[in-house]
Amino acid sequence: MTVAQHRSKDTVSPQETQDGRPKALVLVVPELCKGCELCVYACPSGNLVLSHSLNKKGYHPAIFSYEGTQGPCTACGICYWVCPDLAIWEVRRLKK
Amino acid sequence: MTERVLMKGNEALAYGSLNAGLNAYFAYPITPSTETPETLAREYGNPNYPNFRVFLQAASELEAVNMTLGAACTGALAMTATSSPGFSLKQEAISYAAGMEVPFVVINVNRGGPGLGNLGAEQSDYFQTVKGGGHGGYQLIVLAPNSVQEMFDLPRTAFDLAFKYRNPVIILADAFLGQLKEDIHAVPPGNGLTRDTSWATLGSENGTRHILNSLHLDPDDQENHERHLHEKYEKMRDEVASETFLTDDAEIVLVSYGIASRISKNAVSLARDQGLRLGLLRPITLNPFPYDLVRILAGQGKKLLVVELNAGQMVQDVRLAADGTGRVEHLGRLGGNVPSTKQILAKAKEMMD
Amino acid sequence: MVQIQDDYETKLGQTTGWTGIPTHYCPGCEHGILTRLIGLTLEEMGLLKKAVMVDSVGCSVLAYDYFNCDHIQAPHGRAPAVMAGVKRTHPELIVFTIQGDGDALAIGLLETVYAAIRGEPITVFLYNNSIYGMTGGQMAPTTMPGQITTTTPYGREVESTGNPIDIMKILSPIERVSYLRRGVLVPQPVKAKHGLMYQVKNILDAKRIIENAFKVQQKGGYAFVEFLGTCNVNWKMTIEESKHYPFDQTIKQYPPGVFRDRFGVEGKIL
Repeated sequence: MTVAQHRSKDTVSPQETQDGRPKALVLVVPELCKGCELCVYACPSGNLVLSHSLNKKGYHPAIFSYEGTQGPCTACGICYWVCPDLAIWEVRRLKK
Repeated sequence: MTERVLMKGNEALAYGSLNAGLNAYFAYPITPSTETPETLAREYGNPNYPNFRVFLQAASELEAVNMTLGAACTGALAMTATSSPGFSLKQEAISYAAGMEVPFVVINVNRGGPGLGNLGAEQSDYFQTVKGGGHGGYQLIVLAPNSVQEMFDLPRTAFDLAFKYRNPVIILADAFLGQLKEDIHAVPPGNGLTRDTSWATLGSENGTRHILNSLHLDPDDQENHERHLHEKYEKMRDEVASETFLTDDAEIVLVSYGIASRISKNAVSLARDQGLRLGLLRPITLNPFPYDLVRILAGQGKKLLVVELNAGQMVQDVRLAADGTGRVEHLGRLGGNVPSTKQILAKAKEMMD
Repeated sequence: MVQIQDDYETKLGQTTGWTGIPTHYCPGCEHGILTRLIGLTLEEMGLLKKAVMVDSVGCSVLAYDYFNCDHIQAPHGRAPAVMAGVKRTHPELIVFTIQGDGDALAIGLLETVYAAIRGEPITVFLYNNSIYGMTGGQMAPTTMPGQITTTTPYGREVESTGNPIDIMKILSPIERVSYLRRGVLVPQPVKAKHGLMYQVKNILDAKRIIENAFKVQQKGGYAFVEFLGTCNVNWKMTIEESKHYPFDQTIKQYPPGVFRDRFGVEGKIL
C-alpha cells in the first residue's frame, strides 16, 4: 500500500485554485474500488492514494485529493480510463 | 396444396413446418433425415411461405443447433433436424434451451445405434430423447408421429406447445417413417402462429432488458429456478395424447409408437380375425407419457405387450405405470429389422397361456 | 464551500451502458476497462437499446449483470453461431460478445472461423490473456512456449501441445472478413522521474477500435477484435508485474495492428 506525501496546504499557489475552489474534481466510489492502485500510479500529479481504512469488501479504496504530490488535478481523466472497476465515477472541472 | 399429395415422411416434416409458419432452419445433413433440409432449401424463397426467412447450412451439428438457439431467443420459429449421432451432439444446446426457457423444435429421426450404428429404423433413442439426454434436470415435450400425415401435422403442434410452455419440443421419428411415402391431406399454409414473445431478446427499447440465461450461481436462485421448471413440467402433463384401438375388451394390449405401432395395429386386426382379443395403446406424446391410461388398462387385468424397435426402453415406463398390477412383456427387433405381425401374434399367444 | 452541481461540469461521466452492478473481476483485470469502454461506446453510438449481447463462457460469463442491454447465454464456444442465429432472423439488432482464449480459439474455433468465412455481420471481442482465467489458470491455445500453467506446470512444451495460435493469421486470408484488429488493453508501465507511472494511450486506442468494430457491423461486415489483457492472479504476479509482461513478452508473439480493414474505418494511423 502506498502512502503519498501530500504537499502542505500552505504551498498551494493562487493559480491552482479559483476563489479557493479546486479547478478539478475526481469522484471515487469507495465501495466499488478494489485497491488495485492503477490510478495511484497512472495519475501524473499524484492525486490518488489508497486509504488506510477498508471498504465493505475488505479493500483499501483509492481516495482523491486535489493537491497531489506532483501538483493539482488537471482533470486529465487518465484515472478514469485506467480504472478497471468503474469506481472513478466522474471527472469534473470548474466551469469557466 | 389442398388436394391429397403423395409425400415422403421427411418432406412432410418440411412442408408441415412451413405451413406452421417456420421462420428459420439451420441444417446439417445426416442420413436418414437429410430430405428435410433439402426440401426446405428448395422451398426457400417460395412466395407461398413468406415467413420462411432464413435457411442456412451450418458447418456442424453443433453450429446448426446453436444457430437455432440464437434464432429462437428472438422469438422466431426455429427448427433443426438430425438423426441419432447428431442428436447426441445437440444435447448441450437443448439443455441450455430448457434452462433458458427458449422454444425451439428439434427433429430426431432415430436410426441404428449406439455409435455409428446403421441407417435402419430403431427406437433406441427413447431414453435419450424422453428422459432428457443432456445434463441437468429438465424435461422436453416429445411427439412421436406414426404416419406421413402426422409428420405433416405435428410440427404445428410442436411449435404451439413450444411457445405455450417456453420449452424445447422434440419430434421423435424413425428412419422408416422418414423414408415412407404415403398420400396425405396437406392443409393450406397458415399465416404463422400468433404467440407471446414478450420474453424475447429483441432489444430494450422500452427500458426493460431481456435476459435469457441459465446460470444461477446462488444456490437458492438455482433451486427456485429448477422448482419453477418442474412446476411447468407438471402443467405440461395436460398435453398428454395417445390413441387407443380396440382396448375396451382386449385381453392383451400392445403398447407401441412410431412405425412399430403401424405393425402392431395390423397385428391387432389380424388377431381379431382369429378371435384373439388384442388391443393397441399408441402414445403420441412420449413425454408426457400416458401413465394414467396404462395404469387403468393394467388395473383392468389386461396384459401389456410393449412392441418397440429396441432391447427394452419404453417398456420400463409401462412397467412403472402398471406398478406391479399385471404382466408386462417386451418384443423388440433391432438394427433396422421390424417385427412381423406373425411374430407379434406368436408372442401374444404365448402370453395368453 | 464546493457546490458540485452548479460550479462544475462533467468532463468524463459514468456510462449508462453499465448497470452499476459491481463486477466480480479480479483487481487490476482489464475486463473491467473493457466493460467501461464498450458501455460508453454503445451509449455514444445510440446502440444500447438495439444491442443483444451473447454471454460466452469464461470471465465474461456474468456480463448479463454488467452490460445494460439484452442478453443471451451461449454454450461454451458457440457464441458466433448463436449470434448468427439472432442476426439472420433480426438484422436490425446489434449483436456482440466478449470471448476468452478458450471460448474463441479452442472449443469454439470452428464457430469462430465459420462466422468469418460467411462474413456474418457480428462483432467479436477476444480477450487474450494467454491462459484460462475463469477455471483457474490452465493452458490456453494462446499460452506461450515455456509458460507455466496448472496443466503445464513444467512449462508449455510445443512438441506435445503445439505452438500458440495467432488467430489473425488464420482469419486474415478469409475473403469475407471486414475488420481484423489487435489492440492492447493494458496500461503501459513507464518510468517517470518520481517512480512508476502508467500510460493509457492503449486504452484510448482501444475505445476507437471498439467504435470501429460496431461501425463495421452497421455496414454489414464481420468484425473480430483481439485485445491483449492480463491475468495477474493466474500468472502468479503482482498487478504491477503483470502490466510489464504483455509489453515484454506477449506483443512479440501477438503484435498489435490492423489485419483487415475493408471499410477503411481506421481513418488515421494510431
